[in-house]
Amino acid sequence: MAKFVLMFNKQVIKEYPFQKESITIGRKPENDITIDNLAVSGYHARVDKTGSEYILTDLQSTNGTFVNDKKIVSHKLSHGDNIIIGKHTLLFLAPEINEKASASQDATLDLNKTMMLDTARQRELLSKQQVLAPTPKKPKKIGVLSFLDGSKLGEVELRKKLTRIGKASTSEVRLSGLFMGATAATISRRPSGYTITFTGGMTKLKVNGEVVKGSLPLKDFDTIELGSYKFQFYQKEVE
Amino acid sequence: MLIKSAGITDVGLKREGNEDAYSADDELRFYVVADGMGGHLAGEVASRIAVDLITKTFRQWSLAGASSEDLFGQTDPSLSMYGNYLLSGIRLANRVIHELASSDERYQGMGTTVAALAIFPSLVIAANVGDSRIYLVRDGGLERLSKDHTIVSEQIEMGIVSVEEAESSPLRHILTKNLGSSEEVYPDIFELIPANNDRYILCTDGLTDLVSDDEILDMTAMANSPDHLCRDFVDLVLKRGGHDNTTVISIFLTGIQKKKEGPIRKTGIMVADLWFAIRKGLRKIKP
Repeated sequence: MAKFVLMFNKQVIKEYPFQKESITIGRKPENDITIDNLAVSGYHARVDKTGSEYILTDLQSTNGTFVNDKKIVSHKLSHGDNIIIGKHTLLFLAPEINEKASASQDATLDLNKTMMLDTARQRELLSKQQVLAPTPKKPKKIGVLSFLDGSKLGEVELRKKLTRIGKASTSEVRLSGLFMGATAATISRRPSGYTITFTGGMTKLKVNGEVVKGSLPLKDFDTIELGSYKFQFYQKEVE
Repeated sequence: MLIKSAGITDVGLKREGNEDAYSADDELRFYVVADGMGGHLAGEVASRIAVDLITKTFRQWSLAGASSEDLFGQTDPSLSMYGNYLLSGIRLANRVIHELASSDERYQGMGTTVAALAIFPSLVIAANVGDSRIYLVRDGGLERLSKDHTIVSEQIEMGIVSVEEAESSPLRHILTKNLGSSEEVYPDIFELIPANNDRYILCTDGLTDLVSDDEILDMTAMANSPDHLCRDFVDLVLKRGGHDNTTVISIFLTGIQKKKEGPIRKTGIMVADLWFAIRKGLRKIKP
């Protein structure tokens, strides 16, 4: 079994055998390895056992986690690694060498293998991480079209994954006009953000004055024109 | 609209079994890949259930024009009805795999990723859970239509690690979502309008581990048929060591024609432009 030896000023304080799938290290008493020192964050780092490997991850701690004097975000632990947290050192001792040798082949394979992290544990950790994080997780944003003229629509929130703009009655944003396409343009929410696409009709689509014939990712405060309609795109934070 | 597609799955050079599964149905225009996980045969079972059940429910609900009461779980108002069929099918597959995994010892810890794509003449729906991906190649550019549910991609979003660091991170294969591990699942779903000459790629991480996004773009843009493209992807993966199962579906879309612009139409456009120009001019003159 792998174990950690907690040391301070070259003095051994305590030994911690690694008995679970994951452990956390930090100042708060809920941690598996508690280090009561102000240089240590509440939840400072964690170690996950994946296959026969041990992965150390810094939980965005204030003062960082170091392995053998190198600052790390995540690190695959090897026998004899010195983990420095605040003023304390944790020595990592791998399971017996023969045990390791037989497992090492599986280990490389395991890292290439897709695995699912225990969700309950992970949610717990992520929520802790959020509390600790100096910059809180980005708030959810939603796109808005703000009409500048030519319409009394005011503002339209882009709540759907795909918003159709045009003359057709099925359009989420309905615009009139002799030459307006049934669906003149669409705005879709993609992994990379909002994208506007010219879809059809004789009314041209312009973004910041440039005619768009295909697709274009939208940025905050882009000006979109469809015939005499003019509106601005921006994203606002929502609950 | 014309669709040509091809699918391929390869066990690779290091693994004994193939835990990937896929389905490419050109009639239904519905495509799914899944990468199973879990010991013994459990991974294969999970990915097969996901592919079959999601395809089957999508077909049934589409044919029947199912209403929200027929679906599994609450409908998502941000999605089209077809988007909800896909969402509901993924939820159902998750529940089935989850219950099997928690009731049968042999299937303990079983799970799977999934990436699914549905194509209609005026709508494309892409959904995924886990790290199997969906790419769109359009106008010489590549776009991901899926979101990786891994610790590493969450770390990138939080700004803790860079994209370069992520590529070699030991955590890159640890999923934060899959089908099977919990009772509820929240897939990422995107909807967009298809365009002529769109090319879509669905794949498992066997491909994306060894082939970069830039290479996927180049190979897809240059390919002359979906079959050749799939074959070329697998050949490249095997040349680079093929440590995992690899599954790829390539879909080439043609025949989505914007109406031809005849002389009358062209004149119409000119008149329209003139009209707007005059109106704009008039508005400026008015106080």
